[in-house]
Amino acid sequence: MKKSVMICVAMLALVAVAIPVGAQTKLKVWFAVSGDSGEAFKALLEKYKAANPDVALEYSYSGNYGDTATKVSAALISNTAPDVALMAAGPLYTGARNDYFIETKLNDADLNKDDIYPGVWDYAKYNGRICAVPYGISTPVLYYNKAILEKAGIDLKNPPKTWTEFLQIAKTAQAKGNISGTPDFWGFDATDVAWLFKTMLYQNENTVISVKGTKISPAFNDEKGVEVADFWKKLTDEKVMPVGQHSNAEKKFLAGNLAFLVATSARIARWSKDPSLQIGAIPMPYFKRPSVALGGNVLVILSKDQKTKEAAWKLVKFLASKENQTTFALKTGYLPIRKSGLNLPEAKEAVTSNPMYAIAFDQLDTSWSYWHFEQMGTMDQLLAQAIDALERNVLTPKATLDKAANELQAEIDG
Amino acid sequence: MAMKKKEATKVYSLKKEQQRAAAVMMTPLLITLILLFLLPVLLVLIMSFTNWSMTTTTRSYVGFRNFLFVLNDGRFWKAFGNTLFYTGIKLVADTGLALFIAVLLDKKIHFRRFFRIAHFAPVVVPITASSLIWLWFYDPGIGPLNQILSWLGLPSMQWLYSEKTALLSVILFSVWKGLGYNVILFLAGLQSIPESYLEAARIDGASERQVFRKVKLPLLAPVTSFIIMMGIINCFKVFTEVDVMTPNHGPLESTLLMVSYIYDQSFTRGKMGRGAAAAIILFLIIFVFTMLQRRLGRKEVSFD
Amino acid sequence: MSKHLRSRYPFTTLFLFISAALMIFPFAWMLLSAFKTPADVYNYPPKWIPSSFKFTNFAEVFKKIPFIRFYANSIFVSVVQTVLQIWISAMGAFAFAKLDFPLKKKLFAFMQSSLFVPEIVTIIPLFLLAAIAGLVDTYTGLIVAELNCAFTTLLLLSFFQTIPNELIDAAKVDGCGYFRVFLKVILPNSKTAIGTASLFAFLTHWRSYMWPLIITNDVKMRTLPIGLKYLVTETGTEYQVLMAASLMAIVPVLVVYMFMEKEFVQSITLTGLKT
Repeated sequence: MKKSVMICVAMLALVAVAIPVGAQTKLKVWFAVSGDSGEAFKALLEKYKAANPDVALEYSYSGNYGDTATKVSAALISNTAPDVALMAAGPLYTGARNDYFIETKLNDADLNKDDIYPGVWDYAKYNGRICAVPYGISTPVLYYNKAILEKAGIDLKNPPKTWTEFLQIAKTAQAKGNISGTPDFWGFDATDVAWLFKTMLYQNENTVISVKGTKISPAFNDEKGVEVADFWKKLTDEKVMPVGQHSNAEKKFLAGNLAFLVATSARIARWSKDPSLQIGAIPMPYFKRPSVALGGNVLVILSKDQKTKEAAWKLVKFLASKENQTTFALKTGYLPIRKSGLNLPEAKEAVTSNPMYAIAFDQLDTSWSYWHFEQMGTMDQLLAQAIDALERNVLTPKATLDKAANELQAEIDG
Repeated sequence: MAMKKKEATKVYSLKKEQQRAAAVMMTPLLITLILLFLLPVLLVLIMSFTNWSMTTTTRSYVGFRNFLFVLNDGRFWKAFGNTLFYTGIKLVADTGLALFIAVLLDKKIHFRRFFRIAHFAPVVVPITASSLIWLWFYDPGIGPLNQILSWLGLPSMQWLYSEKTALLSVILFSVWKGLGYNVILFLAGLQSIPESYLEAARIDGASERQVFRKVKLPLLAPVTSFIIMMGIINCFKVFTEVDVMTPNHGPLESTLLMVSYIYDQSFTRGKMGRGAAAAIILFLIIFVFTMLQRRLGRKEVSFD
Repeated sequence: MSKHLRSRYPFTTLFLFISAALMIFPFAWMLLSAFKTPADVYNYPPKWIPSSFKFTNFAEVFKKIPFIRFYANSIFVSVVQTVLQIWISAMGAFAFAKLDFPLKKKLFAFMQSSLFVPEIVTIIPLFLLAAIAGLVDTYTGLIVAELNCAFTTLLLLSFFQTIPNELIDAAKVDGCGYFRVFLKVILPNSKTAIGTASLFAFLTHWRSYMWPLIITNDVKMRTLPIGLKYLVTETGTEYQVLMAASLMAIVPVLVVYMFMEKEFVQSITLTGLKT
């Protein structure tokens, strides 16, 4: 008896599916950011909603980057895609489907395209054409633990310029800065190895991939690439960096067992809020030229019909405006993508009160991004696996990179 | 003669009645199977003959190319080998330990309810939380496991961060996470054994050990067989725990398992067609293993 | 004639204490972590006891996610799924165990093979079907698509088979149809099995993450495992808040299990089958 009641309740619940009706334009937004960034993004959407009563805005968190990608693909093939999505690798979901709607809007005066850093625009391209609007953009940042460096007697007023100089400092920090007395104390580590490796490649005048017309091929295994791999191996060979523990690097760093850490700039806001953490940052060292590879998420428009697309574009413009994007950036540690954004009083305030912001913002000038291509996820995974093999001395650096390059080439041709 | 005929009609009508009852009672089950299994799998089968890409959503027929790729891919066979290793260790550890603990919990001891709840508790923890806890435990530097090892005067270990111990560490985690299920199943099986059978054996002078071996174990055969079958199937389907514990398949890809391979092809690489082909091959492999287990196992499900 | 239970099984008790301690060790860690400050969390050497026992992390959970709504959704969806699934499975298991019908072996193999397919393989095709049926963002979509009955059917089947045929025959002689036999003989005699199967079904749904995420967009439709993922963010995970949320997610389930356990473990039903 009870069971049948339950079933009835279930049936009733099924019927009670809310479908809002009205003459408003309906816009569905998904975003792949949660926590502080999610809250900041939601606040902007609410602001838009209040100012535009003619738009029925529905938004929801769609899981992390990977889950959002799955959700968007499933939605695209079943025509249930949102109108706007804030996601990683966005160009793969527009440009790759030959949807370059945003390209047609670049001359929109409200957008002020040239205000956005050119390197940042590269992050929103597929096959060299813009098909997304950069948004939650981050760069890798080299953080350090103040207490460790103080104990080691290292003064970072004149930070190391090159990786070779840096290696010496990291060694000193490791030898003299062990504040917790642990045997598991290290000089340097990175959370996202493929990201840092790509940064280093470009710094060493290697372009990671080479593009000829529409043909893309791996370039990370040339001489300059091998030089980077050799340096990487030195980090583990000289025991400055632990072998293959990158997924735990952040924990070690916050526990005071690691002197330097390369992690996303998206940590800045959180870490500066916590008084128990004494963390600073220095500009990323380099090989031949200073540079950092961009990461983060972009806005894409996935609507089907032209009218909704126009409405979605209005929302995207609003989100990417100088004030709104800068607000979002400062609440989270993502970066202001507009040159003018840096001149806003709140941005200036942030830079003076928190030098870590200054470090991250300055890096934007030399930031770099290669074009998105279909196999970029494959490449990141192959690079991460190659670095793991490199650290564990399976093959020579050259052979390791060649293997990854061959596999990637096969995937691209495949 | 007449008697026989009457009996035959009775058997016949009984058969009819059974068939009618079965038709009614099987229908809901069959509907769910058709909608949730048959249709999606047919779509997967179709997908496996196309070059469906997750991002571009292009789809065209490519024949057996995906199957050939998977069968010629060293990674796939590595994943297969790792999965066999995983299944072997996990099955022995899980089934053996669960049976042992269930037998102990079946006794009339103090704190019995506490023990039962303690062994069951890990099952309810969401994987988001349990994986974070264990990642912390396994950290060679700041994790409590190595802290405890050092208190005991034992050398510290690399756990998830060495190709030698990574998969074993994942197994340890998944035994912790899933042991409760099997304990509960064995307990239910043990408690379904009629007390009279046990009394009879005891009256005949059998020791507790003999009672266990001669009475309980044979009567547990259907449950044991069920647990082993589900164990094999689930081991071949393991994904979430290896994915969260060891991103990018761990040190030197030592934790690459079958479903991680499928996930990689379908989602990381976006080759839905290839992932589908790998899934079909996995399906056939599990099918073969289940058949083998059924041959080797005693009477699992017999319709006689 | 034992005077003290304890003295009868000293080693068993000792062993179980050790093993229970190992099993709940991570819980102790979770419980303690739920009270930690961020500084406690990252302390080295690992800090076991939090520096204070304030409930700030718990309060933080309610600030960050609509915990109650997620909880209610999870309970509602899981309970309805469990009831439907057990009902469907029990009927099917009864037919497989006690009835004779054509194609039985083939249908059995068909059902069993539905277990061979990992969720991630069928999730996109299933979503396609659900979208065509208009089930996106509905409770139907959440509930129906995860009624994977094969496991519970097999489980119940292996128990139903141990029910002696004589009981069924006796009921048949009394004039019962098979459906009445199912209701009056099979179900009452398999409380342990039904309880176990329900528990398994409930937990599978309770922990389900990927499907609810794919099929729902509206935050009002979301379930607890997704809620916990909200707390794992790309600006850094607040470990102590996640632990507090997980703890709140687990404890009620454990309490319910404690009561259920008393019910279905102590009413050892099949002993009544001796006759």
